[in-house]
Amino acid sequence: MSGAQPGMIGTQPGMSEPLLVLDNVTKNYGAIEALKGISFSIGKGEVVALLGDNGAGKSTLVKIIAGGLEPTSGRMLFEGKEFLAKSPAEAKAAGIETVYQDLSLCTNVDVVANFFMGREITRKFLGVPVLDEPAMEQVVKKALTSAGTRIPSLRTNVEHLSGGQRQAIELNRFVHFGGKLVLLDEPFAALGVEQTRRGLDMIRQVASQGIGVVIITHIMQQAFQVADRIVVIRQGVVAGDVARNKTSPDAVINMITGETLAGAGPAG
Amino acid sequence: MNPRTRHALEFALDNLVWFMLVFVLVVFSIFIPNYFQLGIFANIIEASSVLGVMSIGLALVIITGHMDLSVESVAALGAMAVGILFCSAGIGLGVQLHPEWLMVPVSLLLALIVGGIIGVINGYLVVKVKMSAFIITLASYIWVRGLVLVISGGRSAQDLAPAIRWFGIQRLLGLPLTAWIAISCFVVFSLIMAKTPFGRHLVMIGGNETATFRAGIRVNRNLVIAFVLAGAIAGLAGWLLAIRTSGATANLGVGLLFNAFAAVVIGGVSLKGGVGTLPGVYAGVLLLSAINTAINLMGLPANFTQVIHGMLVLAAVLLDAFKQTIRQRLA
Repeated sequence: MSGAQPGMIGTQPGMSEPLLVLDNVTKNYGAIEALKGISFSIGKGEVVALLGDNGAGKSTLVKIIAGGLEPTSGRMLFEGKEFLAKSPAEAKAAGIETVYQDLSLCTNVDVVANFFMGREITRKFLGVPVLDEPAMEQVVKKALTSAGTRIPSLRTNVEHLSGGQRQAIELNRFVHFGGKLVLLDEPFAALGVEQTRRGLDMIRQVASQGIGVVIITHIMQQAFQVADRIVVIRQGVVAGDVARNKTSPDAVINMITGETLAGAGPAG
Repeated sequence: MNPRTRHALEFALDNLVWFMLVFVLVVFSIFIPNYFQLGIFANIIEASSVLGVMSIGLALVIITGHMDLSVESVAALGAMAVGILFCSAGIGLGVQLHPEWLMVPVSLLLALIVGGIIGVINGYLVVKVKMSAFIITLASYIWVRGLVLVISGGRSAQDLAPAIRWFGIQRLLGLPLTAWIAISCFVVFSLIMAKTPFGRHLVMIGGNETATFRAGIRVNRNLVIAFVLAGAIAGLAGWLLAIRTSGATANLGVGLLFNAFAAVVIGGVSLKGGVGTLPGVYAGVLLLSAINTAINLMGLPANFTQVIHGMLVLAAVLLDAFKQTIRQRLA
């Protein structure tokens, strides 16, 4: 099989229907073309590792899918339907969860408030929605315990927590809320060895529930450990789209640095 | 450090301003003759109602990480609108409604709407034009006060309709109804901030606006609502001010903004946003009022108040920095 033939998009063997299809998505910042036309797809329950050098356009792409940026042209299909999120709220409503590179936590409130940011559990009191703190605390406690994350008190403000603990909150948040597609932008940058291993397990576990996962990483080893498919972006275009078991780290590095032709596929 | 001392310390830090208030009241009661009287304490609460209400709106906007310098002028505009319609002397038109009590909701609604409109303008400009709230509300501070001068021609309205003034005269448990209105505002907005998703979102927006946007919270909508609330609350403060002075003058409430700022900062609200609670702000308001009363009782020239307020604000900011260091040690 040779990675990125147009006909192969979203139809890799052993994979169900495509969840998200990107078709020639571009993004210009003034005269600068950050994305020159990206096309690939993600299946349900599939883990796609998005690789590329600094400035290749990975984070831009993630922001476009997550509703933080609007593409200049091109189209996306989500569950077979035309899709364009104008805001993160819309993407979230469609079932797309995102964990960003720079952490998206409010350090001035506690762990529980951050976990439920924007979708607090409430009960009505005289018709007014009131935060149901005990219920939320229960859920967070359960989610963090089952993931093996230890945080001394769920009621401490996040500003008092370590980088690893903060990232753990974000990771557990997406595992809990799930959705249909999860985008992870360098999620393990602040994690230790053991926490990273657990994080990778979490990703597999999430994917096994039929959720699509896109993970951006710089670390080749992580990509090979967790991904079903590896997509390489170079200078704003897809430079390679290959199944993990059909390629090798060296081949992928060549795609990233551009030593093989675009879309040349696996080396073995 | 064991968890219990840690909890006690955090509790003390969170409620520092209340301890300060109690401390100041005890010291004044001991050292100033005639200070320790129920009437004096009632007076402290009564004298702080206008400032208190105005501080709520200001605090809301500061907690979301923005700023509203226009609250003082908006209060004056609300008071002038009520004064012109319902006063019978000066520039007052002496509008009469039947039954008389109808003037209460109508005048109140008028003040709230006038304030709310200025709030919409402020909020819209901050959110859509993405200019600094400081500059936009500074402009409002100036042009709204100008508007007060224009519609009043620099003159004043006197003799507010008795049905409205009733709120400033009628007492319940030793406090005039205007003071109870201020207290209920603090209770209601404290609950909104602490217990509802809306309040929680405002605090989180103040902490990290990008994160809340990414989490799908409608940041712009929430910000506009905060500005509208601040405007409407300032309008309410103006309504109370009109009742208190039984009319409105063109320079009504000048200088209140700085007292409101002082109260908010002393009350533990960080100007960086995301930190602070409304009960703390109320304690800050009462603290200022308690000190004013002490200065009056001691027979010091009133000019001293400003010096002392300035020092208090300075002390509050220093204290805030000091609290930060302690908290970091606790973590």
